[in-house]
Amino acid sequence: MTIFKFALKRSFSNTTNLIFLTLFPIACIFLPNGEDWPFLPYGYQYFGILILFVGIRLATIILEDREKGVVKRLAVAPISHFQYLSQNLLAYSVILILQCILVVFGGVLYGQELYQPGWLLFLFVSFSFASLAIALAWISIYRKKDVSFLVYMSLIFIVIILGGLMIPIEIFPDLLKRIAIIFPTFWLAEGLNWIVFGENILDFLLINGVLWLYTIIFIIIGSTRKIY
Amino acid sequence: MRVLSTIKFTVLRMVRNYIVLLLLLVVPILLITFFSYILSGVTTETGVPLRDENAMQMVLVFQLFGGSIVMYMIYNDLFTENKMRIYSLPFNQTMYAFSIMLCGAVYSILLGVILMVYAQLVLGVVWGNWVWTIYIISLMAILSIIVCLIFTFSVKKYKIAERLSEVYGVGFVLLAGFFFPMPENAFFDFFGTYGNPLTLSIGAVHEMDQSNLGEAWFQANILLGAIIILFMVMLILGRRRMG
Repeated sequence: MTIFKFALKRSFSNTTNLIFLTLFPIACIFLPNGEDWPFLPYGYQYFGILILFVGIRLATIILEDREKGVVKRLAVAPISHFQYLSQNLLAYSVILILQCILVVFGGVLYGQELYQPGWLLFLFVSFSFASLAIALAWISIYRKKDVSFLVYMSLIFIVIILGGLMIPIEIFPDLLKRIAIIFPTFWLAEGLNWIVFGENILDFLLINGVLWLYTIIFIIIGSTRKIY
Repeated sequence: MRVLSTIKFTVLRMVRNYIVLLLLLVVPILLITFFSYILSGVTTETGVPLRDENAMQMVLVFQLFGGSIVMYMIYNDLFTENKMRIYSLPFNQTMYAFSIMLCGAVYSILLGVILMVYAQLVLGVVWGNWVWTIYIISLMAILSIIVCLIFTFSVKKYKIAERLSEVYGVGFVLLAGFFFPMPENAFFDFFGTYGNPLTLSIGAVHEMDQSNLGEAWFQANILLGAIIILFMVMLILGRRRMG
């Protein structure tokens, strides 16, 4: 588990990462409630955006390895590509899960109205995995980390709006409503609605199932590329 | 005036930077289009379509990020990669820096105008007063460039300066209360109204639309004042860094 240990260390060594990983989630806890919409406090509605950003920041570390040629050195080291990738991903998932726990239970302690904190945590964890997988697939088509980050950032803006995370999906025109289904953020928004109104547990499992499906597909896409 | 001959290349370098084009032109175009579809038919209390309102805000929001290209070029040319070459050229380096700033401002304004034209022709957004809106866009572009350069000159590591420029953009969007309402106290009230270039510029365009000339000029002049003061600060910091 050497790589796991160093992946954890590297994730926290960068100042920007440190802010992304600690200060922003804590700030999320204290954001106020909305009037009519969103139903959860703003911090929880927008936490998905933060998860997307954290996902790409963490996955960029793999791209950095590729840029510097570390991956080539790893290829001759007595370690398989699978070990390298799985331990890195494990470290990032641990960080993301810790962050979700911090936000959800911090909110409970602070006294935010979260309806079903346990399920909310489950939803955020599912979405974190999806975000990480998408980021992994995304960086596999790039060679420069700045370019990949900036383009991904602009993509995030569009996806969060089209997914209905920033504007309620009900006021969308029909066509956009139907297109929204292909974005993972749509399923996050659906899940957040379920947390507030939902009764049937099967609906919630379906939502999480879709997020897991995204995770599997994108992990497969992202893990095929080895050296360049 | 040998600097003039470099302008062509400055412009070419700016136009070829496709990341900037993507972030400052393609993304806002997509966002304005989506929003105009989503918000079509909704009007505000004053009867202005929400779509027009939103397009205007988007154009101004993206001006907050316009300084990044100037920052990048000044840093590259005067502090790191091309430093030796630029300093060995027989022209005034300060003038060269100004020419980059000027080109950046014109480029940023041009992108803003392209957005306005797009919104009017394709989406049917009605702009109240073209000249005034372009004037406000120019103020925002110049302010953003100056702020970004202050960051470049005052922080040792360029990476941190870059992050700070993003904080400047995103921070003022947040403080303007676009994402969620800000808590009500003196600090946030100030930065949600007269201490925020974004709300000032939006306010100025609004007041001009309702032909409140006095208030419109007042808000625009606050921006102009900020530009003049920060320009002095930038000059002092820049002299120290370059000398």
